[in-house]
Amino acid sequence: MGSDEEDFVFHGTPIEREEEIASRKKKAVAGASGNLRTLPAWKQEVTDEEGRRRFHGAFTGGYSAGYYNTVGSKEGWAPQSFTSSRQNRAGARKQSISDFLDEDEKADMEGKSLSASSQFDTFGFTAAEHSRKHAEKEQHERPSAIPGPVPDELVAPVSESIGVKLLLKMGWRRGHSIKEVRASSDARREARKAFLAFYTDENTKETPDSLVSETEVETSLGEDIKISESTPVYVLNPKQDLHGLGYDPFKHAPEFREKKRSRMSANKEVGFRKPLSMKESLFGPKSGKIAPGFGIGALEELDVEDEDVYAGYDFDQTYVIEDEQPARQSNDNRLRLTSKEHDVLPGFGAAKNSDYSMERFNPPIIPKDFVARHKFSGPLEAETKPTVSAPPEVPPPADNNLKLLIEGFATFVSRCGKLYEDLSREKNQSNQLFDFLREGNGHDYYARRLWEEQQKRKDQSKLTLDVKVSPTVQKMTAETRGSLLGEKPLQRSLKETDTSASSGGSFQFPTNLSDTFTKSASSQEAADAVKPFKDDPAKQERFEQFLKEKYKGGLRTTDSNRVNSMSESARAQERLDFEAAAEAIEKGKAYKEVRRATEQPLDFLAGGLQFTSGGTEQIKDTGVVDMKSSKTYPKREEFQWRPSPLLCKRFDLPDPFMGKLPPAPRARNKMDSLVFLPDTVKAASARQVSESQVPKKETSIEEPEVEVEVENVERPVDLYKAIFSDDSEDDEDQPMNGKIQEGQEKKNEAAATTLNRLIAGDFLESLGKELGFEVPMEEEIKSRSKPEDSSDKRLDRPGLKEKVEEKTSSLTLGSEEEKSRKKREKSPGKRSGGNDLSSSESSGDERRRKRYNKKDRHRNDSESDSSSDYHSRDKQGSRSRSKRRESSREKRSSHKKHSKHRRTKKSSSSRYSSDEEQKESRREKKRRRD
Amino acid sequence: MSATELPTKEAHILKGHEGAVLAARFNGDGNYALTCGKDRTIRLWNPHRGILIKTYKSHGREVRDVHVTSDNAKFCSCGGDRQVYYWDVSTGRVIRKFRGHDGEVNAVKFNDSSSVVVSAGFDRSLRVWDCRSHSVEPVQIIDTFLDTVMSVVLTKTEIIGGSVDGTVRTFDMRIGREMSDNLGQPVNCISISNDGNCVLAGCLDSTLRLLDRTTGELLQVYKGHISKSFKTDCCLTNSDAHVIGGSEDGLVFFWDLVDAKVLSKFRAHDLVVTSVSYHPKEDCMLTSSVDGTIRVWKK
Repeated sequence: MGSDEEDFVFHGTPIEREEEIASRKKKAVAGASGNLRTLPAWKQEVTDEEGRRRFHGAFTGGYSAGYYNTVGSKEGWAPQSFTSSRQNRAGARKQSISDFLDEDEKADMEGKSLSASSQFDTFGFTAAEHSRKHAEKEQHERPSAIPGPVPDELVAPVSESIGVKLLLKMGWRRGHSIKEVRASSDARREARKAFLAFYTDENTKETPDSLVSETEVETSLGEDIKISESTPVYVLNPKQDLHGLGYDPFKHAPEFREKKRSRMSANKEVGFRKPLSMKESLFGPKSGKIAPGFGIGALEELDVEDEDVYAGYDFDQTYVIEDEQPARQSNDNRLRLTSKEHDVLPGFGAAKNSDYSMERFNPPIIPKDFVARHKFSGPLEAETKPTVSAPPEVPPPADNNLKLLIEGFATFVSRCGKLYEDLSREKNQSNQLFDFLREGNGHDYYARRLWEEQQKRKDQSKLTLDVKVSPTVQKMTAETRGSLLGEKPLQRSLKETDTSASSGGSFQFPTNLSDTFTKSASSQEAADAVKPFKDDPAKQERFEQFLKEKYKGGLRTTDSNRVNSMSESARAQERLDFEAAAEAIEKGKAYKEVRRATEQPLDFLAGGLQFTSGGTEQIKDTGVVDMKSSKTYPKREEFQWRPSPLLCKRFDLPDPFMGKLPPAPRARNKMDSLVFLPDTVKAASARQVSESQVPKKETSIEEPEVEVEVENVERPVDLYKAIFSDDSEDDEDQPMNGKIQEGQEKKNEAAATTLNRLIAGDFLESLGKELGFEVPMEEEIKSRSKPEDSSDKRLDRPGLKEKVEEKTSSLTLGSEEEKSRKKREKSPGKRSGGNDLSSSESSGDERRRKRYNKKDRHRNDSESDSSSDYHSRDKQGSRSRSKRRESSREKRSSHKKHSKHRRTKKSSSSRYSSDEEQKESRREKKRRRD
Repeated sequence: MSATELPTKEAHILKGHEGAVLAARFNGDGNYALTCGKDRTIRLWNPHRGILIKTYKSHGREVRDVHVTSDNAKFCSCGGDRQVYYWDVSTGRVIRKFRGHDGEVNAVKFNDSSSVVVSAGFDRSLRVWDCRSHSVEPVQIIDTFLDTVMSVVLTKTEIIGGSVDGTVRTFDMRIGREMSDNLGQPVNCISISNDGNCVLAGCLDSTLRLLDRTTGELLQVYKGHISKSFKTDCCLTNSDAHVIGGSEDGLVFFWDLVDAKVLSKFRAHDLVVTSVSYHPKEDCMLTSSVDGTIRVWKK
């Protein structure tokens, strides 16, 4: 083989086979994928489309650097949208010239064709072409199941309808009306016949002409009638002159109206001639003259039918004119009649319905009595009064009766007014007694008297004002005040005068010493100070008493001593009395209720005057603050306060307001505090009388308190009534035991009863809570809640135990032995109670058993009976209650003391910390219980 | 009794509060003491040995008053955060919070059976809260006072409140009546005698006034101490023979109940004495002050 190759020599490139090319491509693709995935970057090679290796864009300028090894095509990575060819397979389109023509050639084809616009499309050809084009467009746009041209191309719209064609054949021309055409056609046919007859027989008789003329006249009349019916009058006879509406220049000259009409007719004839001449010149002999009627369109050509054979004859025209005239005359006559009847302008008619109706308001009617000027009578009368001067004095008339009459009448007139005088004057004209009113006898006296009466009336008005002021003045005087107050100030005033005369010097000293006091007060005090000296020299004992009281005044006594000359022995005695008074005051500070009670009767015995004087002095003194505070403060006030029922329950007390609605909450604002201030001022300023009344008020206040207590206590709850009823029964059974037993036993009994009551109360409270009521009032409620009782009762058992534990811990009773005894005694009661609770029986039976249990307890505990007696006794009266309350408090305090001593012993024995001690105490309690 | 029998000897000083102590109270049997102050804490002490047992922290502001139940299992406290806290003593957990006051709460008290808490507040009202049920609404609101209510005392049938409007008002639940005793001076603190017949009212005119509860009469007046600007305390001894009052100058005064005579006075603290509490049985006394200390006094 090697030798063969060496022999042959090859020239040129060998031909590549397809298989080799395909294999190369495959290799390239595989290599590329392999290179991209497996080979690292520095091992990758740039290859050509055919898989050949090539340099990396060194010679191509880097154009294809990012093409190979990255994307699959030169365009990039944009995928192409897929379109299926199923729809295009079935389509078989016909070829036409437009398919093979270019756009330029198509434009040239379109430009050559000419078409009329829609305005001038009389034959409708343009519309047909447009419709065909539109159909073709639609055919191209929408696909059609049936191949081939659309039927719309075959069917083209037609601009003219069959009706139009028929009319055209019958002689109608566009622009003419249908009615006129018919009438004119008939006339024209007859005209043709006549014309033909005329031309054939020129030398015939005249009779056929007259017949033809008659027929024409009839036809003309018919036409006129039809026209008059259809068209209104003013259209036939339009207004041609320039006169105003309703103006008739020929009203009084009908002759001229006729002449004008002839002129008008002549003008018409001239009008007819002119167009005829023109037409003859234009159209020649054939056309002849045009028939009367509507004109033909300017653009249309004249047909043979339009020619009028009898256009040249004037006779026919004259007949027509004459026929029109009577119609006009008749119209004019109608207008005249309407104008005369309705007074309306000629040519117009009165309207049938007139909506406008104007309301007319007549001017007001002036009363006959009305006077233009307004006269003010008031000011004139007022002005006349002051101008009247006082008439001169006139002596009374001789007759006494007349004098009296005049005086009385003057008073009446002054009161009632001048009218009274005028009326009486008129009434009494005949009466001679009233001549003085008419300037008779006594007129002058009457005038004077009247003036005097008026003056008096004026004065009385002033006097009334003075009278109003006077009572206030009277009140201010000292005498009236004294009289109102009573007799006491009178006595004082008498004494004051004497004292002032006797001791002028002493009067001045107290004012200087006590600037704060008022003069009246100081004067009164001076009088009081001076009083005993006159009486005392006779009785030394009374003098000593007065001195004791005066010592409270202090300075005043010394002043009085200086003024009055006393013996040395008397002064010495006074000093001793002062010392005694001082000792009494000191003791008074430490006084108690008992001492106060003893002192009060002494004050009353001394007398009203002394008591009042002492009070005033104490109030004015500023030195003794304690005494002042003791009397002014403390001040007790009482209000009604309503405790909430739960609060009463927690304190084991009955609610005093059970069954009452809660009152509205009272608003105690700052204003209330302000209101209290004036009361204190009034109290301070109260005088002797008010002070005496105070104790009465106090007594009255105390009484309702007692009543309130009784009422409140008597309103316990039904549950508590059950307890008390049991106690009362026990009292009846054993009334004597309470008295016999000793004091020590009583204490124990009290404790036991309290225990029993507490237990019962808590038990009942728990029942109420669990049932859902705070305090069950009625038996019905209990009966309704029977099914619940069983479950509630089971719950009650642990509750009872818990309560017992709490109470034992809280109680402060004395001996341990007593506690153990009571527990043993109570245990059978509890067990029996549990049995009752477990059974579901009626409430009545339960109550009875409870009562038996309580009775058993009372019987077992003989000590408790006497304590119940105590409680029953408390009910009797409120006074006894207060005393017993104090005694019970003392007993309780003694119990507390004993319990405290025992507790101290226990505490001293313990030596451990608080926690351990508590634990031990609990353990001990448990052991004791066991 | 003579002055020597009064507890004027200092036994212990209880230190631990980091600010003013506003109240110090014995418990029912007198074995322990609870104190509260401006450091927002309540501390449980054994005053007889001067030992701090426990500290309770939950208040957001100063604590003004505390009171323990008679069974020593729970206590309540109030203060500037306008709430009344109901605590468990052993666990130190807040059982419940009573909210409703519009201002600071100045005083709290339990009733005898510990079923109800009554609080006196800056909003001129007394509010009663129920400890048995789980409701947080007040059982009753008493708002007849005209000014801040500073102190409250409870008996078996009555609620007594002292107010800055100068009145001591008694609300009797058995009769349904309110009795208002006007003293004319702002009432700072009220205390009731052990026999329940008298009320001692500390007023801001440096005077203590003893009133008869049934009649409203003024029985006695005690003077000598200074009480014009700060809340000071006053109380009676367990024998009701002496009246004790704190002063703003750090002194403690003992008066005779009947004679109103100053039996003894001694300097207990350097600053204002904020609280005075007497032992329910023995002759022992607690005083607290603004200086942050609580002192125990014995014979």
